[in-house]
Amino acid sequence: MVGTFRLQRPWSAVLLGALALGLTACGGVYPNSTFNHTSEFNTAIDGLFSTLLFWGTVVFVVVEVALVYTIFRFRRRPGAPTPKQVHGNTVLEITWTAIPALILIVIAIPTVRTIFKTQAKAAPNALQVQVIGHQWWWEFRYPQYGITTANELYLPNGRTVNFELKTQDVLHSFWIPQLGGKRDLISNKSNYLWFTPNADLPSSAFNGFCAEFCGPSHANMKFRVYAVSAGEFDQWTAHQKQPGIFPAAAPAAPAPATPGAAAATATAATVAAATVAAGVVPAAAPAPAVPVYAFPKEKLEKDFAYTRPTMPIPAGVSFDESLLDKADAERGRQVYSRSSCIGCHAISGNMMSAGVVGPNLTHIGTRYTIAGGLYPNDAKHLAYWIKNAPHLKPGSIMPTIGKGQYDPVRKNTVTLGGLTDAEIADIVAYLQALK
Amino acid sequence: MATIAAAPPYTTAKPAPAETGLWSWLTTVDHKRIGALYLVSALFFFLVGGLEASVIRAQLARPNGTLITAEQYNQLFTMHGTTMVFLAIMPLSAAFFNFLIPLQIGARDVAFPRLNAFSYWVYLLGGIFITVPIFFGMAPDGGWFGYAPLSTRAFSPEHNMDFWVLGLQILGISSLAAAFNFITTIINMRAPGMSLMRMPIFTWMSFVVQFLVALAFPVITVALIFLQFDRFFGTNFYTIAKGADPLLWQHLFWVFGHPEVYILILPAFGLVSEVLPTFSKKPLFGYPVMVYSGILIGFLGFGVWAHHMFSVGMGPIADAVFAMATMLIAIPTGVKIFNWIATMWGGQIRFTVAMKFGIALVGMFTMGGISGVMHSSAPADLQQTDTYFVVAHFHYVLFGGSMFGLFAGLYYFFPKFTGRFLSESLGEWHFWTTLLGMNMTFFPMHFSGLYGMPRRTYQYDAGQGIDTFNLISSIGTAILVVGTSFLVINLIKSWRNGARASSNPWGGATLEWSIPSPPPDYNFAELPQVKSRYPLWNTKGGEKLVHETTWEEEKNIRIPTAKELGIVMPNPSILPLICAIGLLVMFSGMLFTQSSMPTATAIMLIGSAIWIGSLYSWLLTPLEDHH
Repeated sequence: MVGTFRLQRPWSAVLLGALALGLTACGGVYPNSTFNHTSEFNTAIDGLFSTLLFWGTVVFVVVEVALVYTIFRFRRRPGAPTPKQVHGNTVLEITWTAIPALILIVIAIPTVRTIFKTQAKAAPNALQVQVIGHQWWWEFRYPQYGITTANELYLPNGRTVNFELKTQDVLHSFWIPQLGGKRDLISNKSNYLWFTPNADLPSSAFNGFCAEFCGPSHANMKFRVYAVSAGEFDQWTAHQKQPGIFPAAAPAAPAPATPGAAAATATAATVAAATVAAGVVPAAAPAPAVPVYAFPKEKLEKDFAYTRPTMPIPAGVSFDESLLDKADAERGRQVYSRSSCIGCHAISGNMMSAGVVGPNLTHIGTRYTIAGGLYPNDAKHLAYWIKNAPHLKPGSIMPTIGKGQYDPVRKNTVTLGGLTDAEIADIVAYLQALK
Repeated sequence: MATIAAAPPYTTAKPAPAETGLWSWLTTVDHKRIGALYLVSALFFFLVGGLEASVIRAQLARPNGTLITAEQYNQLFTMHGTTMVFLAIMPLSAAFFNFLIPLQIGARDVAFPRLNAFSYWVYLLGGIFITVPIFFGMAPDGGWFGYAPLSTRAFSPEHNMDFWVLGLQILGISSLAAAFNFITTIINMRAPGMSLMRMPIFTWMSFVVQFLVALAFPVITVALIFLQFDRFFGTNFYTIAKGADPLLWQHLFWVFGHPEVYILILPAFGLVSEVLPTFSKKPLFGYPVMVYSGILIGFLGFGVWAHHMFSVGMGPIADAVFAMATMLIAIPTGVKIFNWIATMWGGQIRFTVAMKFGIALVGMFTMGGISGVMHSSAPADLQQTDTYFVVAHFHYVLFGGSMFGLFAGLYYFFPKFTGRFLSESLGEWHFWTTLLGMNMTFFPMHFSGLYGMPRRTYQYDAGQGIDTFNLISSIGTAILVVGTSFLVINLIKSWRNGARASSNPWGGATLEWSIPSPPPDYNFAELPQVKSRYPLWNTKGGEKLVHETTWEEEKNIRIPTAKELGIVMPNPSILPLICAIGLLVMFSGMLFTQSSMPTATAIMLIGSAIWIGSLYSWLLTPLEDHH
C-alpha cells in the first residue's frame, strides 16, 4: 500500500535537519548561553547538564535505533504467515525496567549533591545585594556600601555574592544565564541565591532577565551585569556612595549616604539650591572628590555589544531632536526639581528628589540602559522615554509627561503639568550630566 | 475461535432511516453522537488554538517584532495554552472516551446518558465563554497557569482574568461530570466475561484518566474559588497587600496541573496501544505491565507537582524529594516505550497513516520524556525553567505525544465513527508535513532556551544568538498550518464521500470491530460474551488471525432498528442543554458584580432558576419509556 521507500526520505530529511541545526548551534555566538563556566554555580549546573545530556542521548539513540530498526525489519511482506502471538516476556520487561532505574540513580546522586551544595548558606563575608523586583525594573541595593541603584549590577570577580531577592509587587524571577540558575522573587518573602564569579574572569558584561511572567512588559524587564575586578569594584562603590555629581553641586565632603535616604546629602543639595536662588551659575565645576567609575564604554561596545538594546522607538511619538543640542543641564535640574519626576525618583544630591516608587537616578549618567534595559541610555532615547514612557514600554507605571501626549495606560491626554519638548530636552541634559 | 456469543442479527429488509436534523443533535443522549459533537467542537478549538500560536510565531519570527502589542501577545499565549489544554486535547480525548468506551466494553451506552450530554454542553458553552472575549481584546492575559498575585484584582483589574476564573470553573464541571459517568460506566457496564484484565487498553488508560480528573479537578476548583472570592468579594487568599503567600496558588495549581499532564497524555497512550497491535498483527506486548505502568504513572503524578516550582525557593529537602519522585515517573513511562517497540518487533507492520502517527508518537514522545528527565534534576532546571527549553519539552510531549496519539486514533477509528475511511493519500500529506513542521517548530526551541531566551516574552533583542532558531521555529509553524489544513480537507471530504468502511476493516481485535460501521444506536444487538483480551482474534495460532471484512461483503446487509429488536433506548432530552445554559447564565452574572450588584444578582438568580428548574424536571423524567 504505502511503499517503505517513501518512508526513508522524510525521516532522513528530519534527521538531517536536526543535525544541521545542531551544527548551527555549535558555530554561533551565544551571549546568553547557559553552558558557561564563569562561576561555581553554573559550572556545577553545566556539569550536571552534561551528565543528563550524555544519558539522555544514550537513551534517545537506543530507543530511536530500536524503533527505526523494528519498523524496517518487520514491515509487512506479502504472503508472510501470521506473526507469532507473543504476549510478553518477563525477563525482558524486568530488564528494561531495571536499566532506566540504574541510569536514574546515576543522575539522582549528583543532582541531590548539587541541590544541597548550591543551597547551603552563603559564605559569611559574602557581598550582600538586595534585589527588589518592580513591574518592570530592578532595584539593587548594596547594604554594606549604602548604595541603591537600578537595572545595572556590578559584581566583584572572585568574591561570593549573596542575593536577597524580594518583590514589591507580583512575582518575578532573577536570572543571569551566563552566571547561573534563576531564583524567583516571591511576594512577602525573601529568597536567596549566591554564587562567586570566577576570580580569573576578565571584566565582563552580561545580560540579565526576568524569567517569571509578570505582566505586559515582562519581556522588557531586563538588567545588565558587570562582573569586574575587585579593584574596579572598589572604584565603583567609592563613586556610587557619593551623591550625584553634577557640575552645579559637586560635594566637597560628601556625607555617607544610606540607601534611599536622600536627606543625608541634603547639605550638598542645599548649597546647590542656594546657588540657583542667587542666580549664580558656577563658572567651573569643582573636581569630584572621587573619580567616576563605570564599566569602560569602549570595552562594552567592542566586546559586549550584545548588552546594547536594539528595540526601535515605536512610531506614534515624535520629538524635536534639535532641541537636545540646545539643552541646558542647569535649566533641566530646575525643571526636574519642580515637575512630577520627583514624586517617584530619588537623586542623592538633589534634595527635592526623594521619591522611592521609581528607579534611583543618582548616577544615571553612568548607566548604559534605561527603562528596565529596554533602551540604550542616550539623549534621544531618554527624551522619547520621558515624553511618553507608556508608549515606549507597554503598561509602564511611569506616566506620560509630554504635553499633549496620549497616555495609553491611563487613557488620557496630558495637559496640566505636561512638559514641552524644550523642557524635556533640558531634563535629559541634566540626567546625562549626573555622574 | 468464536468468542462473541452471537453475531448481530443482520437482515436484508429495508434500511432504517437515521434521525437527523438540528433538534436531534441538540437533544441527543447517544454516546456516539455526543462523541461526534466533542470531536467536531474540539477540532474547531484546536484550529483556534493553532491560529493563536501562528500569530505568536509570526510575531517572534524576527527580533523586536511589531506585528502585535504586548497586551495582545499576552492574551494570545494565555489563550493558546488554555485552549489547547482545556478546549482541544481534553475534549478530543473525551470524543474517544464517549465513542469508544461503551463499544469497547460491550455496553449500550454510558451509565448516565443525559449527564453525558450535559457534560458536552457545559464544555461547549464554557469554551465559547472563555474564547469569545479575545475578539474584543478582553481575553485572559495572565497565562494558562494564572499565577497569583498577577491574576488578582490588584494587578489585573479588568475583566480579562474574570473570564478565565469563571470559564475554568465551568469547564471543570464538565470534566468532573464526565469522569464520574465513565468511572460508573466502566465499573458497572462491562459485558459478561470482561474482567478488568480483559479490558481493552484504551479503556484502561481512560479509566485511570477519569480517576485523575476526579481527584485533580477539585483541587483547581478550590484554587479558583479562592481566586474568585478574592477578585469579586475582597477576600485575601492571595492578596499580598494583606500578607498572603502567593505560593498557595502555585501549590494548588500544580497539584492539579501535573496530574493534568497525564490526563492529556494517557488517552493518547491508550489509543496508540490499540493502533500498534492491529497494524503489527500482534497482541500488545506486556499488557499487564502496560496497565500497571499506566496506574503507576497516574499515582506518581500526584506526588511530583513541585517540580514546576524548583525556582521558588522551597529549600534543598523539598527540591531533592520532588526531583527524585519525578525521576521515578520516567521508569513506568520508559517501560511503555519499550513495550510498544516490542509489540511491533516480529510483527507484520502495515504503514497506514494511523500507524505512522502511532510510530511517530513513540519516537517524538521519547524526546519529550528525555528533556523531562533533564528538568527533574532541580539544579539543572534552574537554568531551564521558564525558558524555551521547557516550551520545547512539553510540546514534544503534548504535540508529539498527545496530538500524534489522537491523530493515530482519529485515522484508526474514523471508519468506525462514520462508516467511511479518511483518505490515506491526504493523510500521508498530513502526517509528513505535521512531522516535519512539528520538529522544525519545537526542536530549535531547545537551543533558544538553553541560549537564554525566557518564555512569554512578546519580543527579544537582536544579536542575542537566537534569531535563527526563532526564524526556523516560525517557518515550522507555517508548515504545521499547511499540515493541519490537509487534515481539515481530509475530514470534510471523507466525512461526506470517503470510501465506505466495513465492520472490521483493519482487522482489529476488540469488541467495537464486531459491530457495523457506523454502529447502530443500540451498539450491540445482543450483549457479547467475552472470553479473552482479544475477542476477535485467534491468538492461539494455526488459523488466520482475523478476518478483515470488506464493504463489498457487508453492503447488502440491513441493520435492524432498536424497535425491531425490541431494545428500549433512552429518550432524547433537551434538558441537559437547558441546564448547561442556566449554569452559563449564572456564571456570567458574576461579571457584573463590579459594575452593578443588583444586575449581577438578578442574572445569577435567573441562571440558577434555569438550571435548578431543568435539573428538577430532568430528575422527574424517566430516562426511557416504560418497557
